[in-house]
Amino acid sequence: MYKKFLSLKWKEFRRSSYFEAALAIKILIVLGILYFGGIAILFGVAGYFMLQDMIPGTDPLLTLNKFLIYWILFDLGLRYFIQQMPVLNIKPLMIIPIKRNQVVKFLLAKTATSFFNILPLLFFLPFTIVLIVQGYHPLYVLSWFVGIIALIFMNNYLVYLINKTNLYFALIAGAATLMIALQNYEIFDITEYAYLFFHGMYTKPVWILIPVVLCVLAFIANYKYYLNHFYIDGAITKKEEKVRALDLKFVDSLGSVSPFLKNDIKMIIRNARPKQVLIMSFIFLFYGLIFYTQDIYVEKFPAMIAFASMFVTGGFLLSFGQLVPSWDSEYYKLMMSQNIPYREYLKSKLTLMVFATVVSTILSLPYLYFGWDIYKMILAGASFNIGLNSFITLYGGALNKVPVELNVKAKAFQNTNGFNLTQMLISIPKVAGPMIIFYIPYKFISFDAGIITLALSGLIGLVFYNPFLNLIEKIYQNQKYSTIAAFAEKNN
Amino acid sequence: MITINNISKSYNGVEVLKIENIDIPKGQNFGLVGNNGAGKTTLFSLLLDLIKPTTGNISSGGIVVSESEEWKPFTAAFIDESFLIGYLTPEEYFYFVGDLRGVSKAEVDSFLADFEDFFHDEILNKKKYLRDLSKGNQKKVGIVAALIGNPEVVILDEPFANLDPTTQIRLKAILKDITEQKQTTVLISSHDLMHVTDVCKRIVVLEKGNVVKDINTTPETLKELEEYFSK
Repeated sequence: MYKKFLSLKWKEFRRSSYFEAALAIKILIVLGILYFGGIAILFGVAGYFMLQDMIPGTDPLLTLNKFLIYWILFDLGLRYFIQQMPVLNIKPLMIIPIKRNQVVKFLLAKTATSFFNILPLLFFLPFTIVLIVQGYHPLYVLSWFVGIIALIFMNNYLVYLINKTNLYFALIAGAATLMIALQNYEIFDITEYAYLFFHGMYTKPVWILIPVVLCVLAFIANYKYYLNHFYIDGAITKKEEKVRALDLKFVDSLGSVSPFLKNDIKMIIRNARPKQVLIMSFIFLFYGLIFYTQDIYVEKFPAMIAFASMFVTGGFLLSFGQLVPSWDSEYYKLMMSQNIPYREYLKSKLTLMVFATVVSTILSLPYLYFGWDIYKMILAGASFNIGLNSFITLYGGALNKVPVELNVKAKAFQNTNGFNLTQMLISIPKVAGPMIIFYIPYKFISFDAGIITLALSGLIGLVFYNPFLNLIEKIYQNQKYSTIAAFAEKNN
Repeated sequence: MITINNISKSYNGVEVLKIENIDIPKGQNFGLVGNNGAGKTTLFSLLLDLIKPTTGNISSGGIVVSESEEWKPFTAAFIDESFLIGYLTPEEYFYFVGDLRGVSKAEVDSFLADFEDFFHDEILNKKKYLRDLSKGNQKKVGIVAALIGNPEVVILDEPFANLDPTTQIRLKAILKDITEQKQTTVLISSHDLMHVTDVCKRIVVLEKGNVVKDINTTPETLKELEEYFSK
């Protein structure tokens, strides 16, 4: 029986979009996996010595154990967003003669192969080996390792229990923020207590009973839940959502673009995939922290700062824009047979992108902490985004014919399926543009000259507004039939 | 109103549709019948310029549909679920279509009032997204939306499928009504020979992409069609 399941799963995997994808995407996905996997292994091997360097004189394992509590919470939070139970796949299996409990068991076992479980293993396995090589007692280390594995799988099953409401996520995020804040202000240090448990798994192996039992309990809870809800009106169906009524009268004042804009706002608020984009764009706001905190970038490579500043305000613009018109793929035939001017359609998307960039610019005001120069750079980046990047991204999107399932969350690596050679070529000016525009005047004149040039580059979009829109409109017209055909494929 | 000129469509060298000439006058109720794969949906997609003809052209209201978009203001269609916007409520969808066709919210409301029977209290004010409605109710929404703004040409692919008997009967009355009262040209396809002979003044039978029959409906037509399809 399991052999048959496995063969089904193998076919699903083998025939999934990853493999049907063009060679360029395959290479990209392989590179992505190698990159993340490689980093995990690298840190696994080097982690011991890095921790030793970071806090000299303390047992590196102890240091790690102190911070594992944060890793557990972070892991759970991340899974919450991305990991989904593949329930819909079992609908065809419901009426054929296979025992329900076998189907459910297989379903749950299959989730164990998730990327989220493999990645931490790639870190902890080499780390454990290093520990043994360094002379830690192999049996105790092994017990600790077993405990860690149990925790990983506990999270794996826990997430299916809690992702039914947003309440738990708020709790997890709230708890994590509170702990960090309390620790930061030295009021209460959770790590001083958490390590008792995590280190306990090493010093007194009996502690591993806790994660092992919790993991088993989480598995059983899932098993019972899915067994009891193994009906098409139970867990197998997608949930019917309550309608979120929206008062969008204020949009009406924007004239001919307003019907589209109203639709686009509803589309973003009411569907899982665009909501994910919204959250991603918020995370992009913090991208600057990586670069602004490193003096080496600020002093030696200000072009990298220009690059980072573009991303701080451009998160939504880039990730939303590259999927225009794919966002409307589910009802593209309607759009194409109705009386819809491409220009108004495009203007609506453009309005949203510009609006999001302005909001991001305001939200990034705290970056003033790093000095006026940094914020000037963010403002210049926003200008580049609004004026030029918006059109480049829409141009790229017009050539992108990947249908989007609006109410299905993107899986890890699925974001790459918007990629092909043209997309990669289009992304060069998006990324390299701000760096080059800034760097040349910076090199030959001054820092401020670089910023002013970058800011002025946004004006190009204003001056060539109509020609740019005409150009993109042309693509829509020329590609009409092939776009309709490409979008129809997924719907069948 | 609609003229089909030597149109053909091939995929990878295989011809799926070839029609020499069909003229559909204004206000005609035109029915398309044929087994699966006969080319009904292909013909409708060509009419709406959703696919590109391999040869020939179709003109609607004097406009060649693949060359200009001027036919869109007076044409409406419901082919399949990809004509619905899943994340809207039925009301929002009707208003959106109304916006596109220059019909105000108040006009849409009064237009919808006429369909109270047709909706059977399952569509409006239910606070549900279209994607959560049943197939039959989705179809009702799609068909009614296609009638907003008095289009001159209405194209419906299998409008009777998935509908309950009461709604089928009501739909037939509506379709007859709009051709008689408003001179709307209605094109429908159907697998239900009884309904199609009931509604349509003229029936064309397609087989493997070719026109095999072109009948002006008479009381004997149903029999003729049944004989044809049972051979």
